[in-house]
Amino acid sequence: MIMKIHVYAKLKDFFSPEFELNAVARNTDELKLRLLEINEGAKNILDSCRFAIEEGFIDHDHKLKENDTVIIIPPSSGG
Amino acid sequence: MIQSSSSPLPAEVNGSPLGTIQVISAKPLDIVDLLSQAHHPGAGAVVLFSGEVRDSNKGREVTCLEYESYVPLAVKIIHDILAEAREKWGLKVAIAQHRIGRLSIGESAVVVITTAAHRREAYEANQHIIHRIKHEVPIWKCEYFSDGGHQWGNNCNC
Repeated sequence: MIMKIHVYAKLKDFFSPEFELNAVARNTDELKLRLLEINEGAKNILDSCRFAIEEGFIDHDHKLKENDTVIIIPPSSGG
Repeated sequence: MIQSSSSPLPAEVNGSPLGTIQVISAKPLDIVDLLSQAHHPGAGAVVLFSGEVRDSNKGREVTCLEYESYVPLAVKIIHDILAEAREKWGLKVAIAQHRIGRLSIGESAVVVITTAAHRREAYEANQHIIHRIKHEVPIWKCEYFSDGGHQWGNNCNC
């Protein structure tokens, strides 16, 4: 199962800004586990992130599909 | 700015799909131009907030900031925030624009303008909008320091 992953801000200290992930991740909980297998140092920041597809946030049990582009959203710090 | 009462005036600006002001801008924010679009004949109060780049944070000298955003979602959320504020406070105009990219000290990072019949609504709505933008919109700040370090913000100081 291949998905595109986009990360921002502090997450770029742990992952490339955009990359393809070839792994089984049926929802964002499983996606987090797959990402921690790549870099376990990202645990704290990943635990505080939300996930989005296109223009909407998704819940932890949202079913991910092949070729989804998943956006990982750290806590905001605008303004 | 004096505006003729016969001029077409917006009842709302970039909280509306018809709005022409981009809520996320890679170009320097033009505060005067934004303010010029906020006047409304039904508004007796105009409140403008500009969040600007400060030269220090927690004792460290800041040289510049860089903002990045997941723009499609940021645009949607800011539009929603403005629409809700317009409804709640009966605003005549609500404008918000946030900068992305690298900013120097003193540059404006975010502008919020609210206009209402009376000042209380304009002030309250303005504070509400900037608070929600800082906490809810996928925009992130990276501070660059004179000692060569940098740090992504992960929350706000307010």
